Amino acid sequence: MSTNATMEKPSVDELKAHLAKEQETVVSYEKKLQYLLADFENLKKRTELDVQNGVNSIIDEIMLKFLSIYDDFVRAKEALAKQKVNTQGLAAILKNMNSFLTEYGVTPIAALGEIFDPKLHESISVKEEPALDNDTITAEIRKGYILQNRVIRPSLVEISKTTKTDLVGENNG
Amino acid sequence: MAKIIGIDLGTSNSAAAVMIGGKPTLIPAAEGTTIGGKAFPSVVAFTKDGELLVGEPARRQAVTNPIGTIMAAKRKMGTNHIFKVNGKEYKPQQISAFILQKIKRDAEAFIGEKIEKAVITVPAYFDDNQRQATKDAGQIAGLEVVRIINEPTAASLAFGLDKTKQDMKIMVFDFGGGTLDVTIMEMGGGVFEVMSTSGDTQLGGTDMDKVVIDHIVETFRKNTGIDLSKDNAAMVRVREAAERAKIELSSVMETEVNLPFVSYDQTSGPKNLEMKLTRSKLEELINPIVERCRPSVTKALEDAKLSPSDVSKIVLVGGPTRIPLVRRFVASVMGKEPESGVDPMEAVALGAGIQAGIIAGDVTSDIVLLDVTPLTLGVEVLGGLREPLIERNTTIPTAKSKIFTTAADNQTAVTIHIVQGERPMASDNASLGSFNLSGIPPAPRGIPQIEVKFDLDANGILNVTAKDLGTQKEAKITITASTKLSKEEIEKLKKDAELYAEQDKKKKEEIDLKNEAESYIYTTEKLINQDLKDKITQEQGIKVTNAVKELKDVLEKGPTEIKSKLDALKTIVNEISTELYKNVTPPQGSGQQADAGSQKNTGDGQNTQTTGTAQ
Repeated sequence: MSTNATMEKPSVDELKAHLAKEQETVVSYEKKLQYLLADFENLKKRTELDVQNGVNSIIDEIMLKFLSIYDDFVRAKEALAKQKVNTQGLAAILKNMNSFLTEYGVTPIAALGEIFDPKLHESISVKEEPALDNDTITAEIRKGYILQNRVIRPSLVEISKTTKTDLVGENNG
Repeated sequence: MAKIIGIDLGTSNSAAAVMIGGKPTLIPAAEGTTIGGKAFPSVVAFTKDGELLVGEPARRQAVTNPIGTIMAAKRKMGTNHIFKVNGKEYKPQQISAFILQKIKRDAEAFIGEKIEKAVITVPAYFDDNQRQATKDAGQIAGLEVVRIINEPTAASLAFGLDKTKQDMKIMVFDFGGGTLDVTIMEMGGGVFEVMSTSGDTQLGGTDMDKVVIDHIVETFRKNTGIDLSKDNAAMVRVREAAERAKIELSSVMETEVNLPFVSYDQTSGPKNLEMKLTRSKLEELINPIVERCRPSVTKALEDAKLSPSDVSKIVLVGGPTRIPLVRRFVASVMGKEPESGVDPMEAVALGAGIQAGIIAGDVTSDIVLLDVTPLTLGVEVLGGLREPLIERNTTIPTAKSKIFTTAADNQTAVTIHIVQGERPMASDNASLGSFNLSGIPPAPRGIPQIEVKFDLDANGILNVTAKDLGTQKEAKITITASTKLSKEEIEKLKKDAELYAEQDKKKKEEIDLKNEAESYIYTTEKLINQDLKDKITQEQGIKVTNAVKELKDVLEKGPTEIKSKLDALKTIVNEISTELYKNVTPPQGSGQQADAGSQKNTGDGQNTQTTGTAQ
C-alpha cells in the first residue's frame, strides 16, 4: 500500500524537480518565440528593402535599355549632320528625351578633361600624352549616367599616361 | 546568435550568402548589381596615389592600370608568389584578404550586425597549403574561418542533395568564366567525399563570348568591307550585343543583333549592323568549345573508376551551364538530366551560406525549420471539380475556411471529399478521405451555408471540419497522412499537373459551363413555375419550356451544343424579363437576373459553389 501511495503522490522534491523542468521548457519556448518574432520583424524590414531594391533594379534596367536607344538617336543625328541632312526634327526628339531623363533623375557623368575615377568611369584605352596629367580623360567613348546616386552605366573612356612605362604589367595570376 | 556568412571566393568572381529567415540569401555588393549579378569581380587594384580598389571599380581601371591591378590571385594561393605594386610586396593571401574585407563590409551593411565568422569555399583539388592560405586570408581580413568547404560540396548543399539521406555518387560540373572543374563525390550519411577531380584552367564562358563576337564582326566585314575590330566604340557595342544575344538564345530560338550607326563610311555614309542570330547558329559556333569539356568529364569518371550510370546526381555550376547546349552535352555524356532549380551562378555561395547557417545553428534550430505543404489541399465540388483551400507551398501551421452550399433542393446532407494535388478535377488528385455532414434542414439549393475549415498543424496533420452555419451542426475528420507522400509521389503529381494543364483547363471549362447551364435551368424553371407564373403569357411559357427542354437534352453533349442552347435560353428569358419590367420600376434587391445569370458568386465575397451530391 505504501509503495502505491508513493507512486500516486510524488514527493515535494519530485514535484519541484518537475516544475523546474517545466519552467525550463517555458523559458526555452519564450526564447524561441522571441527569436521567431524578431526574425519576423527583421524579415518584414528586409522585405520592404527588397521590394525597394527590386523596383530600383527594374528602373535601372529600363533606363539602360532606353539609354541605348537614346544613344542611337544621338548617333543618327551626328551621322545625318555629316551628310548635311536637316536634323532639326531629330534634335527636337533628343530634347524631349533629355527632359524625360532629367525628370527621372538620370544625369550624365562628367568625363572629358576630368581625372579618371573608377567609381564613375571605365577605361578601355590609353594614350601617351606627356602634356597632360596622368589619368586625364582624353576621349569619351560612351557616355555614363547616374540615377539617384547609383552609377547605372559608367562612362567608357580613353585616358592619358605621361609615359609608356606605365602601361606594362604582369600581375594577373 | 551571431550570424556566420558563407563566401564563394572565386577566381574571376566572388559572392557571399547568409541565412535569413531560414533561407540562404545572396549578399549584394555595395556598388550594386553588375553583369555578374550580385557577385563582383575578384579584382584588387592600387592606384598611383595608393588608393585600394576592390571589385567593380578595380575591374573598370584594369585595362589602363595593368601594373597596379591584380586579377585571379586565387591561382597563386599557397605558393610563394609575391605581387609587387608601387614598390610594396603582397602575398596572395593578403590580396584575397582585401576581397574578403570588402565582403565583410558589404555583409555588415546588408545584415546590420557585425560579422566575425565565415565559411569559405575552395576548389576540391586545393591542397593543405592552399587551404591554409585561404584560412590565413580570412584571418587577415578579420574573419574567423570556421570551416573551409569544397566548392562542389557547397553546390550540392544548395541543391539540397544532403537532405536525400541516400548514399550516392554526385558529379559537379563547374563551368565558369575562365575555368572548368569537374568533381566526382561520394555522399554517405550526409558526408561528402571527393573521389576525383579534373578540369581545364583555360576553358570557359569568355571563349564562347569571343567566338560570337568574332562571328558578328566577320559577318559585318563580309557585308560591308568594314573591320569593326579596330573601332573601340563599335566593339563595346558588339561585345554587349553578343553577350545579350547569348543570354537571350538560352530561352528563345532566334534573336536580332541590331546596332544602328555602328560605323561611318566616308563615301557611302552611315552603316547599320543588323543580323539575325539563331540558337542553332550559336550552338554551331560554341560547340567546339563545349566539346573541349569532354576529356575532363571522361577523366574524372576514369579516375573515380566509375561509368556514367554509377553517378546518380549531376550538379551544374557557373553561368555558361545556363546555355541549353551545355546542359544537353552534360545530359548526353552522363545519360541523365542534371539537377535544376538553383541559379548555377549562385549555387556555391548559397551552399556556403547554408553550411554557415548549420554551424551557426540557424538551420538545425526548429525555429526556422517551418515546413510547407507540398501540394494543394482542397475539396470536391459540383461536377467533380476541385476547390482549393490550402494552396501548395503554404507554410504550416495554417488554417483556411470557405463557405459552401447545397447543389439540390431539400438536400439534407453533403459529402466532404478531401483531395490533394494540383489538377482541377478532383478525381485526378490523391483522395485523402471523405465524410458526411447530415441533418441540414430542407431548403432550396444555394440557401444553406456550410463552412468547411482546413486546419493543418505543424506536423502536417489535417483536421477538416464542416459546419452548417444555420444549425451549428458539425462533422469532422482527421487526416494524418496529408504531407506523408513520398518525394517521388509529390513530383509525379506536380508533373501530371503540368502535363495535363491544357487538357484539364478545357475539361474544367466544360464542367463550369455545364454547372452554369444546370443552374440556369433551375432558376428559370423556378421563375416560370412560381414567381412569374401568372405574369407571363402562355406563348411565352411554352417558348421558355421548350428552350429549357432543348438545353436539358444537350447537357450530356459537347460544350458547343450546351453553349448555343444556353445562350438561346438566356435570350428568351431576357426578352421576357425586359418586357415584364418595361413599365415597372425595378424592385430593390430582386436579384433574379443575377441569380439566373450566375451561381458562382453572389457578390458578397462568399463562395457559393455547391458541394458534393445529394444524399
